[in-house]
Amino acid sequence: MTRKISRRAALRLGLGAGILAGGAIVYRETQAVGFDKWARWALRGQATRFSAASRVALAAADSYDAELVTAVDALWRAAEGPDLQNARVVVKPNLVDYIPGRPCFTAPQVTEALIRFLRDTARVKKIIVAEGMTFRRDPHAILIDTGYREMLERQRVEFVDLNYDDLVKIPLRGGYTKMDSLFMARTVTEADALISVPKLKTHHWTQISASIKNLFGIVPGIKYGFPKNTLHMQGINAFLAELLDSLPTPRRFALVDGIVGLQGDGPLFGAPVASGVLLGGQDFLAVDATAARLMGMEPQALEILTFMAWAGLGHLDENKIALRGAALSELRRIFEPAPQF
Amino acid sequence: MLRAQNADGGWGYKRGGMSYVEPTAAVILACSQDAQNAAVVQKARAFIKTLQRADGGWGIASMDAESGWMTAWAVWALADNDMAAAQRGAEWLLATAGLRVTDATQVAGVKKVLRIDATITGWPWQPGDAAWIFPSALALLALHAAQIRQHPRVQEGLQYLLDRAIPEGGWNIGNPFMVTGNLPPTVESTALALLALRAFDIENEITQRAARWLAQENFTPTAHEWTWRALYGQKVGAPLERARGALQTLQRADGSLDGNVFTTALGVMALDL
Repeated sequence: MTRKISRRAALRLGLGAGILAGGAIVYRETQAVGFDKWARWALRGQATRFSAASRVALAAADSYDAELVTAVDALWRAAEGPDLQNARVVVKPNLVDYIPGRPCFTAPQVTEALIRFLRDTARVKKIIVAEGMTFRRDPHAILIDTGYREMLERQRVEFVDLNYDDLVKIPLRGGYTKMDSLFMARTVTEADALISVPKLKTHHWTQISASIKNLFGIVPGIKYGFPKNTLHMQGINAFLAELLDSLPTPRRFALVDGIVGLQGDGPLFGAPVASGVLLGGQDFLAVDATAARLMGMEPQALEILTFMAWAGLGHLDENKIALRGAALSELRRIFEPAPQF
Repeated sequence: MLRAQNADGGWGYKRGGMSYVEPTAAVILACSQDAQNAAVVQKARAFIKTLQRADGGWGIASMDAESGWMTAWAVWALADNDMAAAQRGAEWLLATAGLRVTDATQVAGVKKVLRIDATITGWPWQPGDAAWIFPSALALLALHAAQIRQHPRVQEGLQYLLDRAIPEGGWNIGNPFMVTGNLPPTVESTALALLALRAFDIENEITQRAARWLAQENFTPTAHEWTWRALYGQKVGAPLERARGALQTLQRADGSLDGNVFTTALGVMALDL
């Protein structure tokens, strides 16, 4: 005796089998990171798509001699920077190294303008300029060579070397790497706000370097080595996602120095490019996506950004980034890409 | 420097900062010859010993549960006083190596991008990482202090230093070249690598070129740079008046160099400031 299966039942069976097979594929594909984590990232990513657009502001600035405090002020307002009144603020420029003729570090004029804005307009309680240099253990030589020593003395702002600070072990929330905790400088963990002030550049490992890559400098070299390669071994993109997701500072902002950018073989040996722009915002991913567009790159093609966007760490899509200030199309300069190998 | 000792017997990089193995070991090496410092040094050694981990190595501080590069500092600092602890640390060093590439295609790729022989390795900052000049040279000095001088890892470590030298002279932190550019030598890496090679009586064109580069004064005159330069100068009997004068000028009112205990200890080791 044969039992006939109705067409509807067959369809249901097929659908069920399809779901099971799909589930098995997803499970297999996500086994390396764990299905629960993958599902959490994917769900958050989907939820982020429905969240409000992130504001990113652009300002034209032709030279470091320009009135940069006014530009920073306008940019901060346009980007709806956080209220920092009475806050302890860590300002983190990119001082990766000093190579004569190579603009691989954030210009001190930009950091100085930000300091003046924070002190005079934002009325913060305390400003600390902090960095954990990548290639050299001696911060003083880099501070002198880059002009930061003089600027910091002029502004009477303290510098903290994050490579040698007291340490705090912070939990890593994301699970993107095999690490579940990270040593971090107490100066950063105790701050109310972190402002990433990177140089706009191309990078031979990550293709671009802006506000997110600049965060590498906040981890202590004394634990992770010089150039903190132990963390590169976790996968640069995965580790940066971890760092962005686990930042202990409740308020943050990114101000990118693109007045003179660095193109080609970044982070050190690239060539200067007069890109004439400052940009900023609270959503580091949106800021870096905009930075990529300014350099003539498509953010969706940059792995460092796409994974973070997929995991919901910020916005990447053009229609989810509300640009303010100067027009991006007028400020775009095509950067020579970093060599790939 | 002595007044900056923490209650636990260790030193931080800054006065009052948490105790780390590196500055504590450097102070021991700087002060242990002077009998007046016996009590301070004894307390510091006790601090270092309490941090030795079951695997024989040391982390960077008490909160660090993983042995790493500061093992070399601890071995060096304990070698003339507690050889048993130093030997266990030395064994950890001998069992630890930077990543080694063996696949021929990868070796060729690394050679092209970084201009190094990736089949030769030294010591990493942390296990699982590639080798770098500073931890490698430091490990060699520590093993030398622990009387380990013929081991194959020592021989490979010395080869590693020679392979990573910059053709024009000196060492950067790791490879001599990166993608499109020659990396510049740094005073710290060059002085430490030269000290390690000299400890094992290696002198050749590479060390001579590096020593010539170090003798030039084409670096930014910070306390850190001068102390490393003076450390090497003292070892080879070079005149130290310029370094002494520069460091005395840079010395702060509290006696420190840069307010940094580690740099100050190096200054004392080099010049008995």
